[in-house]
Amino acid sequence: MSATTTAAAPVDTSPATRRHPGALAPLRWEIRKLRAQYRAKAVLIGALVLPVIVVVVIQGQSRPPKDTLFGRFATDNGFALSLLVLGFAAQWVLPLLTAVVAGDIFASEDQHGTWKTVLTRSTSRAQLFWAKTLTACGFAVIVLAVLATSTIVSSVLIVGHQPLTGLSGQTIPAAEALRLVAASWATMLPAMLGFTCLAILLSVWSRNPAVGIAAPVVIGMVMQLVGALGGVEAIRPFLLTTPFEAWHGLFADPRFTGPLTEGLITSAAWCAVCLGAAFVMLRRRDITGG
Amino acid sequence: MNDLLAVEATGVTKTFGSVLAVDDITIRVAAGEVYGVLGPNGAGKTTFLRMLFGLIRPDSGTIEVLGKSWGADGVGVLDGVGGFIESPRFYPYLTGRQNLEGLALLDGGVRPGLLEELLELVEMTDRADQKVGGYSYGMRQRLGVAASLLREPRLLVLDEPANGLDPAGIRDMRALVKRLANSGLTVLLSSHDMDEVEEICDNVTIMKRGTVAFHGTIAKLRTMAPDPGHLLATTDDTRALALAEQHPALRVTRDPEAALVVTGPTPDVSAYVAALVRNNIDLLTLTQTQTPLEALFFMLTDDTTHQTLDRPAELAELAEAAR
Amino acid sequence: MRRTILVILAALVAVIALGSAVVATSGDTSTVTRPRLERSLTTNFANQYADQARIQGRRITPASLHAKAMCDKAGAENNDVGPGGDWNCLMSWTDPEVPMPPEGYGKFELNVHSNDCYTVGSPSKLTGFLTMTDAEGREVTNPVFEFDGCFDPNGDNTPTGVVFPSLLAVASTTITPDAHGNAGVQLTCGSGAKGCAGTIAVTAGDTKLGTMPFHLAEESTQTLQLPAPVPDGAAEVTFTVQMSTGVGPPKPVTLPVQGS
Repeated sequence: MSATTTAAAPVDTSPATRRHPGALAPLRWEIRKLRAQYRAKAVLIGALVLPVIVVVVIQGQSRPPKDTLFGRFATDNGFALSLLVLGFAAQWVLPLLTAVVAGDIFASEDQHGTWKTVLTRSTSRAQLFWAKTLTACGFAVIVLAVLATSTIVSSVLIVGHQPLTGLSGQTIPAAEALRLVAASWATMLPAMLGFTCLAILLSVWSRNPAVGIAAPVVIGMVMQLVGALGGVEAIRPFLLTTPFEAWHGLFADPRFTGPLTEGLITSAAWCAVCLGAAFVMLRRRDITGG
Repeated sequence: MNDLLAVEATGVTKTFGSVLAVDDITIRVAAGEVYGVLGPNGAGKTTFLRMLFGLIRPDSGTIEVLGKSWGADGVGVLDGVGGFIESPRFYPYLTGRQNLEGLALLDGGVRPGLLEELLELVEMTDRADQKVGGYSYGMRQRLGVAASLLREPRLLVLDEPANGLDPAGIRDMRALVKRLANSGLTVLLSSHDMDEVEEICDNVTIMKRGTVAFHGTIAKLRTMAPDPGHLLATTDDTRALALAEQHPALRVTRDPEAALVVTGPTPDVSAYVAALVRNNIDLLTLTQTQTPLEALFFMLTDDTTHQTLDRPAELAELAEAAR
Repeated sequence: MRRTILVILAALVAVIALGSAVVATSGDTSTVTRPRLERSLTTNFANQYADQARIQGRRITPASLHAKAMCDKAGAENNDVGPGGDWNCLMSWTDPEVPMPPEGYGKFELNVHSNDCYTVGSPSKLTGFLTMTDAEGREVTNPVFEFDGCFDPNGDNTPTGVVFPSLLAVASTTITPDAHGNAGVQLTCGSGAKGCAGTIAVTAGDTKLGTMPFHLAEESTQTLQLPAPVPDGAAEVTFTVQMSTGVGPPKPVTLPVQGS
């Protein structure tokens, strides 16, 4: 090594008085890392481009997909088409999009063996935990916004903005329909954040990015399946996929928002339980790898 | 300030499942000294250092670093500490510079210009803007040193810093550690290499299976070192063996590989060799088996040698020292 | 990795077990109920029907239809609760240009999902087929033929009180007497309140064979023995239904005799 000795750390016999990182420093670091990852960029580009492709493909179908809500109007009404895409996205796309980041954000430190690198600095485990959680949630918000905007804009531009037939058979004027469609996409956020927290828990617990990403999607599909079964409807309010259907009430006349409120509570409970468990797990963990 | 201990670990114990990794060890490192923790792989060195950094929670015992403890100060314990455990790891998709910048963020900022100085110091300036994923082992090791010094630590903890480096890299790394030590930094170094510790350290703790096998200065260690062993091959080993009886200070035995093993003080070995030549026994080879400290290290850390040692008095002394 | 998969499986099993326990202890807690379905269906249908009329160039307000529905799930003996593809709804409405059939209602088939949404298949005799002709003569989709809707799971659950009589029909298409001239006739009673009851007067040509009383539960089928043997040489048998409960065929039903 070079003879540059000037950089050798100075002798410091004063008591340790080190600057401590501000609350936002770990968050800035997480965001910087996320921006450097191809995966995050690929997800955002996918969220931007795929809806356009889906819209074009569905619009070209001679028979509308009637078995999904609003599917029967999808080929000649842009609002119906964006709601059809919404229903489809809620099945597994939204959990997947958020899990790509949230399921990886803790486990990737295990994968790269970097826990010891970051935990030997002046940032506590709690600070890192919240920085990662906020980053994952922020990413969920952004990816949902991109997906929603891309879907709504492309379906309205490509298919059109005719008045929409609501779920009580009423006719909804185009301007109102646009507001309701946008609001419906926005109501996906609580449950999507619920899946983000679930992915975080699985990421912390499994220490394996593949599990962190795939398991929330699988669990989401199982919950979807269980929720669709007759006879076990008593557990529907506890499923994280139920809030994904709460937007239906916005298109009924009279409008009902009970499921939206219940969905908010369900999602918040899932978040609290998952984050609490993940936090305790991370705090108590012995970092032996890397 | 000199009475402040850089590290004061008392009665630290850690088990993983049924494996006792660290068993009630006590280590005190004074400010300003270069301290070695020596032991074979699996002796518990790394577990101890991980506990020092708070990566692992001890089952019992306390660890104070520069007068702070995890219980009272949380992550503040690490305020004056820098270093790495095993081989340093970084984010492969970021460049070396980005990695250091990020770690500086987690440190709460860094003195302007320090990052460049450190890259220069570890000779990584040219490669700093390449992704770490493409770095060699030695480059990552050097980046790890830079990342540790970025904290401007008063206690530098290095876990096997020369591990996996080529001979030139080992030489450079030792030179760097020495230079850092000379600047007044307290250095806690773990190693499985006696030479390294002997060259750099003032004090040493030798660990064996989670316990302390020796604790003291290098000078004290040297006095306890056994006489060097030599491997001797001659034209007539049988006569050579017979001649050995005239040299009571030496112990000469027949090696399974048909050579002789000569153990004893160096002057006596010389006299013996001269006697062999005088008796027309030619020397084919004469090689030193181990350095004295190496021999001692193996004695201290290898269970199987204990039974074959023929110096019970010294062993007892070792056991005393370990206490 | 195997540990991970095992734990995930165990978690799923636990969730499902917990779910089953919840279900077992909570009983019938489905939000899919008859009153909610009846209320939602009538509103939804009235809107769709008015839309259909608009396409045809007619002006009808949803309110003027006075649509009323009575829904029923999978036969009389079951509770009218829970999702399924076996919901039937009888609905009446008022459109001067499309009179109701004699029984006074049309039968709609519903597939109701656990998420409180449903798909309705309409009786095409009353509401038309998949496509229809609009006021300008173009082929367009008929909004009423099949439509979707959702109802509020917390919505009004008090019974609507709408009741329609069951419809009795003669299911047999021929009368086949045995060697002694004895024969049977099959009757079905459709969805509706209280089932079907009354008497049937049977004649073969000019010969009166007598009357048969009947009592059928809602959505059931029954075979009645003719009160007397069919005379040799009779070509057909006529049944004249007199209903005391439910509605029956307004005109006498005549069936040919086979095998004589």
